[in-house]
Amino acid sequence: MKGNNQADREKMSGLYETYAPMVFRRCQYMLRDESEAQDMMQEVFLRVFDRMDSLDLSQPSSLLWNTATRLCLNRIRDKHRRGLDVDSSELLLTIACADEEDDSFGAQSVLAKLFSKEPESSRTIAVLHYVDGMTLEETAREVNLSVSGVRKRLRGLQAKLKNLEVK
Amino acid sequence: MIPDWKLERYLTGDLPESEMREIREMEATDEIFAGRVKMLREDNRAILKKMPFERLSEKMEARELGSGRGMNGAGMNGAGNVVSFKFVKIAAAAALVLAVVSVALFSQREIGLAQSANDGAQVMDVAMADAALTGDNAFGEASDTRIKGLNARMEVWKKTGDSAVQLANLSEVREGDEIQLRYAVPEKCFGMLFSLDGNGTLTMHMGDGSQAIALEPGKMTTLPFAYKLDNAPKFEKFFFVTSRDSFDVDASNLDALLKNKNVNAVSVNLRKVEGK
Repeated sequence: MKGNNQADREKMSGLYETYAPMVFRRCQYMLRDESEAQDMMQEVFLRVFDRMDSLDLSQPSSLLWNTATRLCLNRIRDKHRRGLDVDSSELLLTIACADEEDDSFGAQSVLAKLFSKEPESSRTIAVLHYVDGMTLEETAREVNLSVSGVRKRLRGLQAKLKNLEVK
Repeated sequence: MIPDWKLERYLTGDLPESEMREIREMEATDEIFAGRVKMLREDNRAILKKMPFERLSEKMEARELGSGRGMNGAGMNGAGNVVSFKFVKIAAAAALVLAVVSVALFSQREIGLAQSANDGAQVMDVAMADAALTGDNAFGEASDTRIKGLNARMEVWKKTGDSAVQLANLSEVREGDEIQLRYAVPEKCFGMLFSLDGNGTLTMHMGDGSQAIALEPGKMTTLPFAYKLDNAPKFEKFFFVTSRDSFDVDASNLDALLKNKNVNAVSVNLRKVEGK
């Protein structure tokens, strides 16, 4: 529960002005649909707003980028499961639909992750590395894991996705 | 070539100082790169102009009102304030626990009704059974089928540009319309949300497979994702079915569930019309 809503609102306004374009472009890139991207961008900020007390906002760009990535992956996966058209690259779709033991159905994990500094899901890590082109070191920094931790996560996912190769 | 993610961090000033300096120098000396940065800065302005913070702020306000966030003060006083604030805190906590547990169950799945000679008739019967089951009561008024004391509500909203309108029973909708569902229950119960379209396809919007999930009373809850209507003809009918006891739906015999006297069905039937 918030103690000072006006202060939260001002903080959100500042975050939004600085990061909304980045988050929107991220969502648009992943979802390839302007309308969906607008919705998702707002959802990303609303989730942050809901959890402001418990979130680590010291690196908002990473938090927002990774939250947008995760939510978009879930959206892609849900659309695919419902048999709806998914306008997405094959790689992104493969990662989105990958099963993870720690993230078997996504949304619950999304909330859990937002509450803490737990490492990101392997799917998000895979997107950062394989799709965004971050090096293992950059990915590790982004998700607060060691390089070997990132490598391990990617190998775990790789076992399920034969066409991915951990560099 | 600076990757997109790094360029975004450059624009927000979130790179380590050494990298910021390096890219600043590149912007000053590399015309092509400078053009790319300029385009993104212009894009930033356009995005904020098109989607200003005020729009998000409205949604934040709605969430605050819905969850009780920010109610500790204005317009309330005395002991009643303390009691209701405590209630709001408990309700918010319960809703949060519920969200964590149940949001995983909100994925929308399609279940084809078993194909039989009677399917078409059954689908239409179910679709048009408003009067008997829910018709005039689509938004929660008293009904013969309602369990005493249980007054579940469902709202169906359609996105229109940057806002949304609530749809009444028998509103017209088209392929591609984005529908958002909301619900509330007044007491602990089990429930599921699904829709049936003119092709006889049943789509679960909230439920554990074909099983109802436990619901907690409290504020209006919005499902995490909107639902885009496909090209199914004639109608799309949304059902919010609740019961004090756990139950499931048999897609091939929907009628049995809706006629079960122990369940409460609230529905909104939308008429599908052609054209975009």
